Amino acid sequence: MSTPTRFSSMPYTGPAPTNRKPFVPAGLEAIDKRCDEIQAKIAAPYVTAVPGQDLPTFVVEREKIVDVLRKLKEDTELRFELPIDLFGVDYPRRPEGRFDVVYQLYSIKNNDRVRLVVHTDEDKPVPSSLPVFQGFDWFEREAFDMYGIRFDGHYNLRRILTHEMFQGHALRKDYDPAQRWLLTEKDVAKIVPVVEHHPEDSDFEQVTLNLGPSHPATHGTLRIVVTLDGEKIIGADTEIGYLHRCFEKMAETHTYQQVIPFTDRLNYCSAIINNVGYSLAVEKLLGIEAPPRAQYIRLVLSEFMRIADHLVCIATNVLDMGALTNFWYLYQPREEIYQLVEACCGARLLPTYTRIGGLSVDAPANFLDMAKALVKKLPSHINDAEKLLLRNRIFLERVDGIGAITRESAINHGYTGPCLRATGVPYDVRKAKPYIGYDTYDFDIPVAEGGDTLARTLVRLEEMRQSLRILHQAIERGLPAGPVIVDDPYVALPPKEKVYNEMESLIYHFKLIMHGIQPPVGETYFAVEGGNGELGYHIVSDGSKNPYRVRVRPPCFAVYQAFRKMIVGQTIADAIATLGSLNIIAGELDR
Amino acid sequence: MGVIKIERRKQSFMERLYIPETVKGMFVTLRHLIHNLLNYKDLPIINYPEVKRVYSERFRGRHILTSREDGTTRCVACYMCSTACPAECITIEAGEDDRTREKFPTRYEIDLLRCVYCGYCVDACPEDAIYMTRDYELAIDTRARSVVGLRDLVVPPNMPTEPMGWRPYYGEIRKEGTAGGTGRGQEIRAAAFGDEAAPNPELYKGEARPKSEADSRQGA
Repeated sequence: MSTPTRFSSMPYTGPAPTNRKPFVPAGLEAIDKRCDEIQAKIAAPYVTAVPGQDLPTFVVEREKIVDVLRKLKEDTELRFELPIDLFGVDYPRRPEGRFDVVYQLYSIKNNDRVRLVVHTDEDKPVPSSLPVFQGFDWFEREAFDMYGIRFDGHYNLRRILTHEMFQGHALRKDYDPAQRWLLTEKDVAKIVPVVEHHPEDSDFEQVTLNLGPSHPATHGTLRIVVTLDGEKIIGADTEIGYLHRCFEKMAETHTYQQVIPFTDRLNYCSAIINNVGYSLAVEKLLGIEAPPRAQYIRLVLSEFMRIADHLVCIATNVLDMGALTNFWYLYQPREEIYQLVEACCGARLLPTYTRIGGLSVDAPANFLDMAKALVKKLPSHINDAEKLLLRNRIFLERVDGIGAITRESAINHGYTGPCLRATGVPYDVRKAKPYIGYDTYDFDIPVAEGGDTLARTLVRLEEMRQSLRILHQAIERGLPAGPVIVDDPYVALPPKEKVYNEMESLIYHFKLIMHGIQPPVGETYFAVEGGNGELGYHIVSDGSKNPYRVRVRPPCFAVYQAFRKMIVGQTIADAIATLGSLNIIAGELDR
Repeated sequence: MGVIKIERRKQSFMERLYIPETVKGMFVTLRHLIHNLLNYKDLPIINYPEVKRVYSERFRGRHILTSREDGTTRCVACYMCSTACPAECITIEAGEDDRTREKFPTRYEIDLLRCVYCGYCVDACPEDAIYMTRDYELAIDTRARSVVGLRDLVVPPNMPTEPMGWRPYYGEIRKEGTAGGTGRGQEIRAAAFGDEAAPNPELYKGEARPKSEADSRQGA
């Protein structure tokens, strides 16, 4: 029994200070100039440019969005053909409509981006962009699920991340997150795949088979429903959302710093890349840059994580095809990479290593020695696996030409990362828009032709070698001297010695814990090259300690939506091999 | 911009025959087998319950609350850790005593099932009170036992440094004032522990902790 005291038993909940400064992106003039150029190209009265954003941004009238998208895609000079992202943002009681639907497109030809914004309301449907971009299929379903934004003409506008019995739309600002919705077994969606071409003269009857969500071959909670003719798949559908953890809603109720542990759980095979991407996005919003030592350690660990991600992908992919030996040879170096991560930050899988403005703690004294030993060890493991795979007739015949996607289809579906490079498109965020000093390293982008499972495996094997090349150069350069976090009391916690001994530092420490980081008002997008594609963070700040909206652009999400089309015409066993080579991580897919 | 185009190799006749390549593949596995037999000590396998993995000194395991040299807990119930916690797993209730110090926790609970072991509580602590250990064996048989309170968390002064994990600083730092802990530590410890010998591991578990003033005040 505690005695009543003078002190309140509740923590301080007074009014939190808010930043009122607007966000001014770097290189604003060039962006606004590009904005005018694109405006002149589109030359339409229903498109209004919004100056002062970090990407060329336009507000488009709701009814005309499909026309504008088509114009941007088909214009021979602009060629915005890669759909990057589509999501909603909620601004309740705004006169021009409650919701923003934000589109982002990328031009491979010009290495250029454009952002389109449509204002809409609960009762005003937006025309579906599916006729232009197949890749916005699931993104539109997600915007419908999370905000209740309707898309006119979408063939299958049902919930995607939440379940069938869910009431309301979770990311709306007026949704009460304390509500619980129960889904019982009888309410689970009965999915019947659409069969387009069924041969009339088949000897077999059609069988519909459910695979997952907890099946050892799906490596995650994915549900696939296939209709079979004999052993051949003639129709398939996928359902996701079994690992939905409300990342985006949680981010809105936590401070900027507290979101970092949540980002670990996105792509848990390469968690440091997620940390780095989020930290860089917030740093861009704050207009600060981490010290060189922090950038260096971020880069080295990102590349190690990329290798670990590819090792896991290849290992589990061949494991599904019965090649257990490779699994052991590839998992051992992954384990050693995790040891390095653990030595830096104290956890293997969920590191939470970066902080906004730098790193939580300096790398250990033997960091470079450990990295050197690892880089020396890794090639033999990769070579062994390659020897066992690429001269193995069984493996080759199981992957050659299986699960192929054409270059055009991959671009149209918003593919990025190794899956896009396997179709011959050399798009890599590290080259297209270098961050943390990737432009100072000499490395190549591996591409392959065919877009099949073999091409994806080849690209991943070569990408590990390229990552090793980066690591060799990095180790040669050595650790830069200096601090690992910015010297800014409004962003980084002061050193402990000062907190224990100086009043001023203690106040800064207290302010930062209680009131968090308050970035300027505005929005920004920052992308890094994740283990399986472009991992982007779109952050909207209203100047308070909590992000107004954190949007993750998950590479898996775009990749997996084409899966049901890729496996039609193949056998179940080939579908499993294809799924493994796409490297679908449920943590990132469902967020 | 450097782009490498990976060409597909055509399978040679020998590879198409399959059997010779299988034998070659066997040599790779045989090489690993012989290497492992000769270097048995370097096998990456740990015989777990008998041999335990040694994690780095930054490992983020189960938490502890440290004590001052006079046996009182360093925590001053300032709520910084529970505010910084992204999983909202720390519950604190503050009490107050005019004689010894202003504020202390009468209830300090961590729900180890909610905890994500991110170490933010350690970073947030301004009093050097909460540390993380290298203890990762956290299996429990009921959900209720996942909530650990002051009795499980507080360790006596001069606790063994060996199982320490994530902590607010590494190495020696200059400490003055309350955080460092000054006072009548020596006599109290001598009375409680007998001598200066290595601390009793039983004490570390928090069960056999000598009753301090704070405990008596709590009234159990």
